[in-house]
Amino acid sequence: MARLGELASLGWRVPDGYAITAGALSDWLPARARAELERLFTAALPSPGSGGVAGAPAVSAVSAVSALSARARELIESQPLPSALADAVGAAHERLELRRLGGGTGRGVGGGAALRVAVRSSAVSEDGATASFAGQYETYLGVSGIADVLAHVKKCWASGYSAHALEYRRRLGGAGPQRAHDLAVGVLELVDARSAGVAFTLDPVTGDRNTLVVEANWGFGESVVAGHVSPDHWTVDRDSGEIVSRRVGSKQAWSVFSPAADRVVLESAPADRAGQPCLTDDEVRYLCRQATRIEEAAGGVPQDVEWAIARDVPFPDGVFILQHRPETTWSASPADAGRAGAGPATTAAPPAAAGFDPVRYALRNVFRVPGT
Amino acid sequence: MRSHFKAEVSKSVPVEQEAPRVVPVDDFVRDELYPGYKQPFGSQPFVAGPVRPFSKADNARYWLRDSLHFSEGMVPASIATLDDAQTWGAQLGAEIVGVPPTRGSVNRLAGTHVYIGTIDVDTEWQVQARAARFGQYVTPILRDFDSYWAARAGELQAAYDHLDNLDLAALDPGQVWTAVKDAYAFHRRAWFIHFEVMYVLTANYLAFYALAEEIGLAGSAVSGFLSGQQTFYSRTDEELWRLAGRARELEVTGPLLHADPAGMRAELSALPRGSTWLAEFDAFLRTYGQRTEETCRIDTPSWIEDPSAPLYAIGAFLAKPSGFDFFAARQQAIAERDDQIEAARRAVNGSDLARFNEALAGNQAANFAWWNEEHNYLIDRRAAIPIRRATLELGARLAADGRIERPEDMFFLFKPELYALMEEGVTTAGAKWPDLAAMIPDRRAYFEDWKHRGPELPTMLGTIPDTVPDPIMIEVFGLSGRFLETLRGGSGADAAAQVAEIRGFPAAKGVVEGVARVITTVADLHLVQPGDVLVCGGTTTEWTPVFGIITACVCDTGGSLTHAAIVSREYGIPCVVGTAVATQAIKTGDRVRVDGRAGTVQVLASGQ
Repeated sequence: MARLGELASLGWRVPDGYAITAGALSDWLPARARAELERLFTAALPSPGSGGVAGAPAVSAVSAVSALSARARELIESQPLPSALADAVGAAHERLELRRLGGGTGRGVGGGAALRVAVRSSAVSEDGATASFAGQYETYLGVSGIADVLAHVKKCWASGYSAHALEYRRRLGGAGPQRAHDLAVGVLELVDARSAGVAFTLDPVTGDRNTLVVEANWGFGESVVAGHVSPDHWTVDRDSGEIVSRRVGSKQAWSVFSPAADRVVLESAPADRAGQPCLTDDEVRYLCRQATRIEEAAGGVPQDVEWAIARDVPFPDGVFILQHRPETTWSASPADAGRAGAGPATTAAPPAAAGFDPVRYALRNVFRVPGT
Repeated sequence: MRSHFKAEVSKSVPVEQEAPRVVPVDDFVRDELYPGYKQPFGSQPFVAGPVRPFSKADNARYWLRDSLHFSEGMVPASIATLDDAQTWGAQLGAEIVGVPPTRGSVNRLAGTHVYIGTIDVDTEWQVQARAARFGQYVTPILRDFDSYWAARAGELQAAYDHLDNLDLAALDPGQVWTAVKDAYAFHRRAWFIHFEVMYVLTANYLAFYALAEEIGLAGSAVSGFLSGQQTFYSRTDEELWRLAGRARELEVTGPLLHADPAGMRAELSALPRGSTWLAEFDAFLRTYGQRTEETCRIDTPSWIEDPSAPLYAIGAFLAKPSGFDFFAARQQAIAERDDQIEAARRAVNGSDLARFNEALAGNQAANFAWWNEEHNYLIDRRAAIPIRRATLELGARLAADGRIERPEDMFFLFKPELYALMEEGVTTAGAKWPDLAAMIPDRRAYFEDWKHRGPELPTMLGTIPDTVPDPIMIEVFGLSGRFLETLRGGSGADAAAQVAEIRGFPAAKGVVEGVARVITTVADLHLVQPGDVLVCGGTTTEWTPVFGIITACVCDTGGSLTHAAIVSREYGIPCVVGTAVATQAIKTGDRVRVDGRAGTVQVLASGQ
């Protein structure tokens, strides 16, 4: 979140919003609930040297982890927020709503008067250079009203105890403690996206630094970052800024706001939309220029940049930068491209960066497919 | 090459090259699946082809006898469930996942016995096209395997909740028929899920294997790194172990150790606290008893219908020498696994270590060794039970109407016959109920006759290849170069006679000398005595309890991923798999020496 704040101060268009810092969140859980959480984990961990005691489940057993996760999440979500914290979030949210009356990101999502926000979680270490914990925590799109926001702030924090997050920490930390890292939660105005996606400042498949890649779909970017569709795909030459290749993806599905569900959902895309590229060439080139500048500001480290283009806002004012992070998984396969390091919006990404891609090994070393 | 391969090859192969060895399928060539039953042409939308009898053209390819999954042969109704599973399910799974070298498996029947073959992808363009979509399909699944599998397990469980809880006896005949159709529809879906997951996970596993080899570790150690996870089956074993302990406490061990399973319940009831123990046992069955002993065999009862197998397993645990601690053995295996992982980590460094850690983490999260056990209770051993249950109910109604003699007669009707009769009143061949009922005794006799011939059948038919291009077949069925070489050296008794030392895949370490017990079907498992060295074609989940009492395991088939390899490591006994000839070279009573690290078995003294 701090990263997004820096971007705003550098003059990029970012959605308006506020953040709840990690300190505030780790403090709010009542002592009784903290003790209960502690007890859950102590009970689930094998006591050292106990040998074969019946009823001590192996901590790595998937079902045990799932059960532990469900109980931890339920426990956290059932706790009331301290009134001071709830009041502070309420006030921040009210200010955001007021600011939005004076402008914001364009027309309101869903056509209603209510302000819709994205509630995003981010481990304090998440956007660090090692990219550890990327994508372990959850994001909720289309939340509206202070009560709903508060409920989702709690859900974000509880997502630090999702089964995959627990398993991920267990793997990294060996048999060490399974506590969630402190999470910061950001509440950002939801950009009513016409099109959205990711821009990479290197080719995520080959690692080629001379090539930039943009992947996008109609609607909100979740369909792209979560890897639900074959998105539109452009490659752009870094030096000339010219588009080298364009591929219109099948884009069978898109992420749209559903008034019925009162949330952003993944739906089948209308056939007439799916066949059309979701960006103009000008937009692609503009996004690449923005991404290169963000890379410069990040000290030259290759970045992947999540962006959205608001509907009904004249170009280029509708282009919003949602987040960016170091791109460390360039060895990923083509299918990874839309998701590599995609961060909080995706689910359990395996630890990145070390260069083991099971698909690549399966194709090259196991199935021995020529040219892989 | 569709014509008779053997004749062509003998003319065209240069003299210095050895002609490929062909074990002719000719003795098994038929144009009917059972006497009097021809498959309706084009009745099923197969990706590659349905279960068929052998034809002469099959001499051109290899066919492996799958005694691992189907040791006793197939009744007519089981041919439909086999079609859903190893034929349709595998073909659709391979197609959708886009496995580059294979389009899945096809099955042939020798009499009633199942052989499996693979369909190689043989054009470069198709391999490339499949490779391109393979990554797209597999990557999102591996990213969050927990959620992916949870959704599928949930779907399967929801189907069982519906189908298993149908009060069939209360339904009208039309509703019973509907239940049969629903059960078949579910069965096919369950098997697609099976192969979709299997292809994804084996690829993940084999990728780790390849990485291990690349960085100087033994690929064969990889499955050991992934062992020791809790599964439905390890929980079953724990429960059986607990019930054995309860039998001691309640002083009801006598019948469990000595009685014939059929009379065991009565003998237990007669003991003062026997009914207490039986109540606990029945509670166990309600959770763990929806399983059969073999895959797709709708003629085999579930544990709930016939609890002989779990009762035997409890007896086997009771027969273990006192002091054996099931949980301690498991914990020991887990500790050894962790030691092996640490040793592997110490042996590599830098970016190799980072890649190793990443591959290990990715495989722990999407763990084939775990799933290979876990899925059985949701698919392999259970998916056909709803069909069995509904079919038997339908059979009971038809028997009451006098159309057939016994409910079990239904198993001797082919699915297309049953559907035609139920929906149209007549089959495509013009047969009506009386005609079919008249055929049942002959079909039953045919099945029984072939059942006894199973152990004599060649391990492989057709052309024995030098190598098999499908790495999944190599790991799951153990079709390694050495396995094939052993088979090329001769088949059956010829090969056995030539073999001084039997070599196979070193699946679990340790050296043991003991007396061999050769078992060719799971039905004979109760013959295994504590301390025996088990020698068999291959094991499945149903064999797991026996690992608690044997001292070593030797299998004809299998690679690093086979059940016997995985379970032996967890029980800490030596195991050699993929020997090709062990069940023929070794006789029950022989004194043998099994070296699980070297992958060798020596016959020290004949038992005769």
